[in-house]
Amino acid sequence: MLKEYLDRDIYNLIIKSFSFSDITEIRMRANENLIIVVKNKKYYLKDDNGEFVKTNRTIIENFVRRASENSIYAFNDNIVNGFITLAKGIRVGLCGNIVTDGNRIVTVKDFQSLNIRIPHLIRNCSLPAFDYLVTDEIKNTLIISPPGSGKTTFIRDFIYQLYAHNISKNILIADERNEICSVVNGEPNIDLGGFCDIYTNCTKKFAFKNGIRSMCPDVIVTDEIDLEKDLDSIIEAINCGVNVIATIHAKDINQLKKKRNFDKILDEKFFSRFVVLSNDEGPGTLANIYDEKLNCIYCRCV
Amino acid sequence: MIKWILIVVLIVVIMLIAYSVSEQIKDKYDFFNNLKQFLNQFKINVAFRQEKINEFLQKNNSKKQFKIFIEEYSKFLKTGELCLQRIKVLEDDDKQILQDIVKNIGKYDAKNEINQMESFLLIIDEKLSVANENKNKLCPMIIKLSLLFAIGLAILLI
Repeated sequence: MLKEYLDRDIYNLIIKSFSFSDITEIRMRANENLIIVVKNKKYYLKDDNGEFVKTNRTIIENFVRRASENSIYAFNDNIVNGFITLAKGIRVGLCGNIVTDGNRIVTVKDFQSLNIRIPHLIRNCSLPAFDYLVTDEIKNTLIISPPGSGKTTFIRDFIYQLYAHNISKNILIADERNEICSVVNGEPNIDLGGFCDIYTNCTKKFAFKNGIRSMCPDVIVTDEIDLEKDLDSIIEAINCGVNVIATIHAKDINQLKKKRNFDKILDEKFFSRFVVLSNDEGPGTLANIYDEKLNCIYCRCV
Repeated sequence: MIKWILIVVLIVVIMLIAYSVSEQIKDKYDFFNNLKQFLNQFKINVAFRQEKINEFLQKNNSKKQFKIFIEEYSKFLKTGELCLQRIKVLEDDDKQILQDIVKNIGKYDAKNEINQMESFLLIIDEKLSVANENKNKLCPMIIKLSLLFAIGLAILLI
């Protein structure tokens, strides 16, 4: 994993000190120490002499070159959105100079920092919430957590649990960033069960509209919705009788309430379950579940 | 008897040399023709399928000298080093063009990648027309002249 992308010396130092199965993030910033995040704890990578390993722009540029397989044109749609998705769902966040043409972002150049996020498939992590989200029907559910708290891991497992519980529904995954399924060369790198149809690298608007028309989904699953941009598509799907399971960035339900358009969601009862995840006991810790009136129906004992 | 055998061997050797020189000229034309096709297909790939360069190269099933180029290109993608010594039909300025192509493909977004390919295609078209002219004029001429030379030499020896 990452061997073909990382600088060889850095890769060797990482595998000497860490196990890739534990690493959640690798952060590289030009001329700064390389940081490895393991179970929410940050470590500086050290070389054989015990000195901190610094990264530079060449290392970062080389990583991007290898990650894009020397084919920027094939990745540019993602690059302008600030990320590249690698095999096994590894997502590389990119920072650098934005090149614009009028209002259009053309590309990103002079990469200065990278955040390599390594996903972990945690089987059964959604099970504590499963009975709340699936009764006689699948509830429209919004999964809430701050970045890096396991939203995507949760929905991946939730999709798998539907399959494992033999709930035979057509599931359409609108995977805008190719993060949920990590499709490489037309094949998902992550086992999500056998009921999924997947749209990758397309807008939610496209996936919802065309998916409902052509794939007859019972459930649409999507990641990181924007309540301003994506709400119309979600309402349209729900009004067509399709259940929606989506994730959104917010620390807790109170922070979510401050988001624009949330009143509308609440008034119209578009979502019947709000699942809050936290980082308290590692990513994906189930904190609370609320019903459509925001009554807490599950609260984690501390 | 030995004299006749020597004459036949001499004629065959001269004709083989002439044939191999004319084959080189044809190979050069074929190389640029393949390169033109490659760039045109790559343009379509970028505009329509956006397969990565490596995947695109793997689908190329050219033969002879262009196959060597594809092999070297694939190596370059892995190691970052490009070696064009094995392509014998090209001269140094031709190899420079190849280097420019290899080092510039894959650096831009789709729109600019296609523009880049089009500008390379203009250069390749010029090279191709020169190679085509050489193929049509020089190849028959070399064969004819060699045949005449061989027959002349044979007559002299007889």
